[in-house]
Amino acid sequence: MIWVSWRQHRGQAISCLAVLAALAVYAILLGTSMRTAFGHDALTACLAHSQGTVCPAAVHAFTDRFGSEVNIAFWSVTLIVPGLIGVLVGGSLIARELEYGTWRLAWSQTVPRARWLAVKLALVTGGLIVLGAAMTAVITWYRAPMDRLTGHLEHNIFDFEGLVLTAYILCAFGFAVLAGLLLRRSIPAMVAAFIPWLAIRLVIEFVFRDHFLAPLTATVNCTQETCGEGIGFVPQATGRIGDLVLSIQGNVVTYQPADRFWTFQFIEAGIFVALTAAALGATIWLLHRRAA
Amino acid sequence: MFRFRLDGSSGVPPYLQLVHQVRQSLLLGYLREGDRLPTVKDVAGDLAINPNTVVKAYRQLEHEGLAGGRPGQGTFITATSSPALPEAQQALRESLEEWLRAAEEAGLSSEEITALIAVARHDLKKEKVS
Amino acid sequence: MTQNDAGDSPLALRTDHLGRRYGRVWGLRDCTLEVPAGAIVGLVGPNGAGKTTLLEMIIGLLQPTEGQLSVFGETLHAPMTARLARVGYVAQDHPLYRDFSVADMFHLGRSMNPSWDQELAQARMEALDIPLKRKVKALSGGQRAQVSLSMALAKRAPLLVLDEPVSSLDPVARLEFMREVMATAAESGLTVLIASHVVSELERFCDWLIVLTGGQVQLAGSADDLIAEHQVLTVPRATLDADLPGFPVHRTDSDRHSTVLVRTEQGRPVAREHPGWQADPVGFEQLIMAYLQRPSRSAAKDDTAQAAARPGPSTKAVSR
Repeated sequence: MIWVSWRQHRGQAISCLAVLAALAVYAILLGTSMRTAFGHDALTACLAHSQGTVCPAAVHAFTDRFGSEVNIAFWSVTLIVPGLIGVLVGGSLIARELEYGTWRLAWSQTVPRARWLAVKLALVTGGLIVLGAAMTAVITWYRAPMDRLTGHLEHNIFDFEGLVLTAYILCAFGFAVLAGLLLRRSIPAMVAAFIPWLAIRLVIEFVFRDHFLAPLTATVNCTQETCGEGIGFVPQATGRIGDLVLSIQGNVVTYQPADRFWTFQFIEAGIFVALTAAALGATIWLLHRRAA
Repeated sequence: MFRFRLDGSSGVPPYLQLVHQVRQSLLLGYLREGDRLPTVKDVAGDLAINPNTVVKAYRQLEHEGLAGGRPGQGTFITATSSPALPEAQQALRESLEEWLRAAEEAGLSSEEITALIAVARHDLKKEKVS
Repeated sequence: MTQNDAGDSPLALRTDHLGRRYGRVWGLRDCTLEVPAGAIVGLVGPNGAGKTTLLEMIIGLLQPTEGQLSVFGETLHAPMTARLARVGYVAQDHPLYRDFSVADMFHLGRSMNPSWDQELAQARMEALDIPLKRKVKALSGGQRAQVSLSMALAKRAPLLVLDEPVSSLDPVARLEFMREVMATAAESGLTVLIASHVVSELERFCDWLIVLTGGQVQLAGSADDLIAEHQVLTVPRATLDADLPGFPVHRTDSDRHSTVLVRTEQGRPVAREHPGWQADPVGFEQLIMAYLQRPSRSAAKDDTAQAAARPGPSTKAVSR
């Protein structure tokens, strides 16, 4: 049964490897040149002593040169890529068998359909976890120099490091597998899973994430106009690289400290993993119940 | 190996068709005493028919004394058929030919002749019963 | 060789008031059958009559809503693995994974069936000249059917279920397919259940019959016994059904006479009892067609239906 699951998803696995390879190529090229520039501009020493306040010109030169990836088109695409991967892999898992009638073949062999599904899900989920981890590792590696300047609580960076990327993929996958069982057609299942996934994704990121834990406040010696350059710049208004500034009112800065990165990662990833478990659990239960 | 045929549209049950073919072949000399008939599996696989049909046919042939099974070896033809019909049948054959000629001269078609024979046989059966 | 001594051989299939409901509609109801091992059964009925429902319950793809079922002794309470292992199945249109090669399909069979006979599968491909490396999508319809059949046979299950196995095949492919089935049945005593709505082809294959219409079994039993229990009577037009011996199945009225198919005990001498009547044996196809044309009964029981259910002394099956 393991061989069967592998063989049926072999094509998808190869496609995913190709995506990963393309990403790796991009990452290696960009990451190498970033590291060269970083060393060249002696930014390491500057950051160690002053969190970047002493060498604003060098910092700006670096961020201007490599910060272009932070443009809307690019990030819109990368927002949806984990979701696409998840629904493309999951939408056809059960639905294709139902669409093409091969369920009559698959479920009349000497393997009860619950075991058929469990083995398949275990294998594919495992593969997606490996893919997510690899993609996260590649992205984290290439971004390392930039992260030293910006930290990684920022919205667009947070989405690709730590645990959440893998969790996004799994959730989209789980939704799509369930949709495939309910709708019995691959493409409609992919669409029907993607839309709620995207909605949840956006809501959690833009409504809830900043407040996973109550933000801290600090008083500073500057105002919104004068605190360095305000939100998102190096260093942040709190004076520490990596803090996420939420707002500045008068002299009071509301922010999430940099050391909450992993806590927030666990919270957000936990939400998506719980959704994945619910979707896959429902799928297994429904399939078992239909057979009974 | 002797090969059977099956006419799916003839209305004659398959096992009888097999029996008839053996009888016919015996009469014509295509099958002789000691010839081995094909195995049930061979016939079933050749004609795409139920193996039980072949078993029935071979049992019928055994019943008629035309063939017999040797355990482990197959089914073999046991009868000799003589090309010459016994005398009584010969006489009947001649009067039949005369009657057929007369019927044709009277203008009966082939189907009418067959129908006439069927009706006559049926009436005779009824007579016997009552 | 197949033997049909129903007295000693095990039952391939046994159902007891088996039924399946889809929402409000009963796809199959009140199905009670006993089929001996080694039989080659024709399951006949129009589309929507419940053939697929019955087959899927036998295979284990569908659970009944009511009643009992056992296949070679494995009942509904047996573990699913044991139930699935009893049946080899070729679904209509012979579904296979199009991107797999033939070898891949057999690997799947080996992977999912502990009783898989790889040598049998490979030998059949060799005999039929189908290369193992070829992808399923590159095979002809007839070749795909043969691969499907090989997969079902290599599973070495005692019951083979074929759902409309040849309806999508050209005549030569049909013949090749059924040749393989019959040869295997001859060799291994396989029990075969063939669902079809094409009646004319069944006589040469089947020694057992089940006729289904409207979700109900109309007729079931060994073909020989059923034919022996029925006669076609030619009677005067005025004769009432009540005056007929046995149970009238199908009646055609002309101006002066009627032709009635009746079911009686085997060998009943109707012609001797009624000199003015003619009694002829019924043909295989004629018998099936007569039962197919009966109006399907509602789920409510009625007396005439129960009269038809009276089995002859030598039939094993009960039909209602």
